[in-house]
Amino acid sequence: MAILSINDLTKNYGRIRALDKVSFSVPPKTVFGILGPNGSGKTTLLGIIMDVTKASGGTYTWAGEQMAANDFRKKIGTLLETPNFYHYLSGEKNLRIAAKIKGRGEGDIEKVLRIVNLYERKDSKFQTYSLGMKQRLAIAAALLGDPDILVFDEPTNGLDPAGIAEIRELIKQLYKQGKTIIMASHILDEVEKVCTHVAIIQKGVLKTVSSVAELMNAGSANAGADVLIDISAADNAALKSIIEQLAGVASVTAVDGELHLVCTENITGEMVNRFCFEKGIVLNKLSVKRKSLETRFLEITGRQSDK
Amino acid sequence: MTDLLKIEWLKIKNYTAFKVMTIFFVVGVFALNYIIYTVNKNIVNNVPGAGLVSFSPYNFENTWQSTSYATGFILLLPSLLLLMLFTNEYTFKTHRQNIIDGLSRQQFIGVKVVMAFIFALVATLLVVITALIFGLASGTTFSLHGIVFVGYFFLKAVSYNLIAILFSVLVKRTGFAIGIFFIYLGSENIVSQLLNVLSMKMKRDSGTDLGNIGDYLPMNAADALLEFPDNPIKSMSKAIMPSDYTWLVFALALAYLVIFYIWSRRKFISVDL
Repeated sequence: MAILSINDLTKNYGRIRALDKVSFSVPPKTVFGILGPNGSGKTTLLGIIMDVTKASGGTYTWAGEQMAANDFRKKIGTLLETPNFYHYLSGEKNLRIAAKIKGRGEGDIEKVLRIVNLYERKDSKFQTYSLGMKQRLAIAAALLGDPDILVFDEPTNGLDPAGIAEIRELIKQLYKQGKTIIMASHILDEVEKVCTHVAIIQKGVLKTVSSVAELMNAGSANAGADVLIDISAADNAALKSIIEQLAGVASVTAVDGELHLVCTENITGEMVNRFCFEKGIVLNKLSVKRKSLETRFLEITGRQSDK
Repeated sequence: MTDLLKIEWLKIKNYTAFKVMTIFFVVGVFALNYIIYTVNKNIVNNVPGAGLVSFSPYNFENTWQSTSYATGFILLLPSLLLLMLFTNEYTFKTHRQNIIDGLSRQQFIGVKVVMAFIFALVATLLVVITALIFGLASGTTFSLHGIVFVGYFFLKAVSYNLIAILFSVLVKRTGFAIGIFFIYLGSENIVSQLLNVLSMKMKRDSGTDLGNIGDYLPMNAADALLEFPDNPIKSMSKAIMPSDYTWLVFALALAYLVIFYIWSRRKFISVDL
């Protein structure tokens, strides 16, 4: 039974179509990433399922929604886009309001403030917080009441590298505890590191949806070509003409003074190195990558950024 | 609803503007009435002959009406506070957050409307206390004559507060909303005055008496129900004035309340937040 099912969700802003008949469902106990470039409709989508944005068409259903939609939202921890709090109230008082709305006791407040390392600043007014602290307070609010479902929109936005690592670790822990996490991000690395499932959206259109493992394995444009190797030598032109003769090299492109090879699964770095050396070329760079989410993402969305 | 009100209380109890405006309003109500009380007393005591046509606004005969009327002048304070509290939610985007956290849109706008009534009720209570104090100070015997004006005051307070909510929902930005609120009040007053002059002309020229047409406008309907008690000067001008259709103005004021409410609610429930 899916935690969330979305059917043909459409949203128009005037003549702009921000979402175009998007459908997918989120399986329970997954980290479900919604991935897309800036302006692709991720936030609009999350806004609709949280009832702050009205859909122009289509429906969504939360798991077993026998209760009123707003009562169901009380059981979801959410962080949408920017942290929204009363500027003139302290962090703790802001959480009290959130706890009251969610119908939770105040017992949780200290715990969540400690999780996000804000306990020492709990009595400072929200307006005195740095961007990172604001974001952490928002995450604290989302954790109130230990919800089973969490919805995060760009959760590491505005955090420093240590903060980013902490939040990713937190998300992994939540996943291990059996929670379902729906997370929008434009940071591929983030999705690759923490998500189990991914939906890719571009210009409001759902491009693909699957588990991350499946997505990595199923290359559409060059099926079977799963190893990426970057090489360079003193004379790249000569290198190019030689390496093209190696069986298993599907394509060679020169980029920024190095050659990017797309190879079949059986090619290893050692084979490339030996082949070149035997042909009289010494490599000064050799780096082997598995096909990353980034390459899959670029294959799916194209290399141009959305304008 | 109790829980919703508790949430609102958490929002406002540490809000500086709330404390400041509450003090201004409470002090303002007493001060304003005290000034009128003292000025009138001085005239009666010191101007020769004034005692003959004397009229005391704070005798128990008049105190309910006078206090309600005078306090009406600073009724903008609570409605401005309400407008600030509501537009703050838009500024901080907490209207979104509250919904995300689990309020329904109906609950969010509903509790604001209830707050409008509570603010009006508190202001009315203040009027009752003030009227009582000055009535007792005037040394006359207790009477409830003219108590209906306290009811009109309540109606006017609710009107101001609900229109503040409507402007909040429509305009969203605090400064902008306050500006437009004042511009609207000002222009409606001017239009109302013009219409009233027209009514007077119509009565004089053709004998058609439709009452004061200007009083039928949204804010003026609530205002018009509250008048200063009849006094010698006012009775002199009565002859040329069109009739007071109190019942009509009252009905219109009520109708406008319903319109403000439905309009705000519908707007808040149907749009992207």
